[in-house]
Amino acid sequence: MQFKVLRGDTILKILLATAALFIIGLVVALAAELFLGSASSIHSFGPSFLIGTQWRSSQNVFGALPFIYGTLLTSAIAIVIGFPISLGVAIFISEKLKGHQTFGYGLGIIVDLLAAVPSVIYGLWGVFILIPLLRDYVETPLHNSLGFIPLFSGNPFGYDFFTSGVLLAIMVIPTMSAVTRDVLSVVPNSQREAMYSLGATDWEVTQKSVLPYARSGIFGGFILGLGRAFGETMAVTMVIGNIPNITTNLFSAGATLSSLIANNFGESTGIYQSAIIEIGLILFFVALLVNGLARFMLWRMTSGARGRA
Amino acid sequence: MKSTYVIIAAIVVIAIIIGGVFGYIALSNSSNTSPTPAPTTAPTVAPGSTATPTPTPTSHPSTSASPSPTPTPTATPAPTPIPTLAPAVLNGAGGTLIAPLMSVWQPAYQQAMSQITVNYNPVGSGAGITQFTQQVVDFGESDAPMTAAQYNGLPSGTTAITIPISASAVVPAYNLKLANGTVMTNGLNFTGAVLANIFLGSITTWNDPAIQALQSPSVAAQLPSTTITTVHRSDGSGTMFAFVNFLYRSSSTWATQVGVPSTSPSWPTAPAQIAAPKNAGVAGAISSKDGAIGPLEIAYILENTGQTSLYYGTVANAAGNYILANVSNIGAALQAGASSGLPAGNASWTTVSMIDNTYTNTTATTMYPIVTLTYALVYQAQTNYVQGAALVNFMSWIVNSSQNLGTGLGYVPLPANIVAVDNASLKLVTYNGTPILH
Repeated sequence: MQFKVLRGDTILKILLATAALFIIGLVVALAAELFLGSASSIHSFGPSFLIGTQWRSSQNVFGALPFIYGTLLTSAIAIVIGFPISLGVAIFISEKLKGHQTFGYGLGIIVDLLAAVPSVIYGLWGVFILIPLLRDYVETPLHNSLGFIPLFSGNPFGYDFFTSGVLLAIMVIPTMSAVTRDVLSVVPNSQREAMYSLGATDWEVTQKSVLPYARSGIFGGFILGLGRAFGETMAVTMVIGNIPNITTNLFSAGATLSSLIANNFGESTGIYQSAIIEIGLILFFVALLVNGLARFMLWRMTSGARGRA
Repeated sequence: MKSTYVIIAAIVVIAIIIGGVFGYIALSNSSNTSPTPAPTTAPTVAPGSTATPTPTPTSHPSTSASPSPTPTPTATPAPTPIPTLAPAVLNGAGGTLIAPLMSVWQPAYQQAMSQITVNYNPVGSGAGITQFTQQVVDFGESDAPMTAAQYNGLPSGTTAITIPISASAVVPAYNLKLANGTVMTNGLNFTGAVLANIFLGSITTWNDPAIQALQSPSVAAQLPSTTITTVHRSDGSGTMFAFVNFLYRSSSTWATQVGVPSTSPSWPTAPAQIAAPKNAGVAGAISSKDGAIGPLEIAYILENTGQTSLYYGTVANAAGNYILANVSNIGAALQAGASSGLPAGNASWTTVSMIDNTYTNTTATTMYPIVTLTYALVYQAQTNYVQGAALVNFMSWIVNSSQNLGTGLGYVPLPANIVAVDNASLKLVTYNGTPILH
């Protein structure tokens, strides 16, 4: 026993630890590089960078607010449209298709497939199909009938916050519905049976027993979807119109943090590049925050479920 | 098992703290930090040189033209004419304008010089200059010549050589349904001032008297009251540089409101305005919206003949003639713009813009006014003979033997006087103080 040979388990442990440390190192390096790259921008513009509304690169005037606004607004539209749909899909599959496992399974796969489509394909589809469709059959009628509401007051031309939001909604549905489905499927049957034994209808069981039981997990899925919407770049860049704008009018072109980076990083130099890297830093922190929140909610869900079971 | 997790968690916390400290330090002495996240050491040699037999001793290119005191690794002095070229891989990066032509050049050059492979990465003009400055590519490419600030960013002691390699034109492309329901085809007339007012947002409908006044009576009567939607590039672009430069020269209002031309101009706010990525994005946006207009590189239109909703207009030149861009009238602009005053390859080319030289030229009556040169960038002092010889050979081949390959895409062969300047520039490229080409 004096010459203890490195056993398989030990080697495995070392390998796994290395892999884990590598990822951690990567994240740290990423953050450090973003800090370093944006240092001169942070130094010269300070907090005014965050609240400035003008972005004029040729005059070195940089304000990130229109892009933060665009990111938040398009993500909000995506959530408002996408969340009810994914909730509906998840409830349908896990509650209504209980007796038809194969069909439910197939439907779940189809929804998940949406997540496998590359975002540039969504962008192309958005440009050639979604934009004309929304412009002619949704935006124009809304504008004509409800144009007095500031949300719909603009002249609709398709490349705008609304289209980006709808496209994002389609892209976040698989994320949100998959998590929601998983959460609903771990709700113990005893919960449902108890409600049924009291004479509740299907909807009452879902509404009063299943959803409350799973609500923190559903919220976790919601946050993950939001994180996806924040970070999505290519598809949004192709349909948002890329004009920095702060307006309540949904039918107006806008820009997001990620679309700004995608558009301008390649041509940037000096302080301009530093400003764009600072935009990346802002996005990094927003994404970190959102994902952290999601982890926290999921952790609460699992520990909560164990507590109750 | 538990303890392992605790250790990993502890390492995570420590790593995050170190990251935070690192970031804080970076911020606190940020006053003289370079904004570019450049690696602390420059890449030892340009990529691709691994296949070369010559070892490179120094990590930084020795840049002085005078013989350096450092011993040369091999006894290879620069031979006089190019001998048989050794196998090499040339990597380039730069503007997207030249990318379609570059993809024609690459296989053609491979046929002529099978031992040399050329890779080109169309990352955009600005990124091309950045990668050239960081010495990660053998040649850079840009639609706008390097600015004074970009020259200052070069590694100390190095000299960049600017080589115009091709030229193209920017056209006002539109999608417009006339009042009688037919589609407006090629040939709507524009002047620089009217285009400037459209993009400034002061002309907002197609039947504006300022636009009507430029058209023949039959077209003018049919112009609809459709709102003008302006479309421009969302990413930085040499195509936009040329277009904005033309507006800058043509309209004093534009000059005061928007300022000096740049690849990422600060576009004024027009009432209906969108920006889309790349030429393809601009073309897609224009063709999807009735009443849209935007600047497009002509190669894109010529590549897409048969588009039902995308047409382009004429632009008035200094002589007052409305010219619909084609290879011959773009060539006329090159002749007029490059007739004199071309700098040497190792000098700054910022003063050279076809538009600067032609926007007041009234004698070239047939020229198309919005024409742009596109440039390759190489270092004057090459640090690796094999790479340098291959690079000079490739550039020389582009300039002298393959200018006609792009005419079908709207790229115009360089006139003889630019070719002469290019050849003189290529002779400036040295290895170890001796010109590679004689």
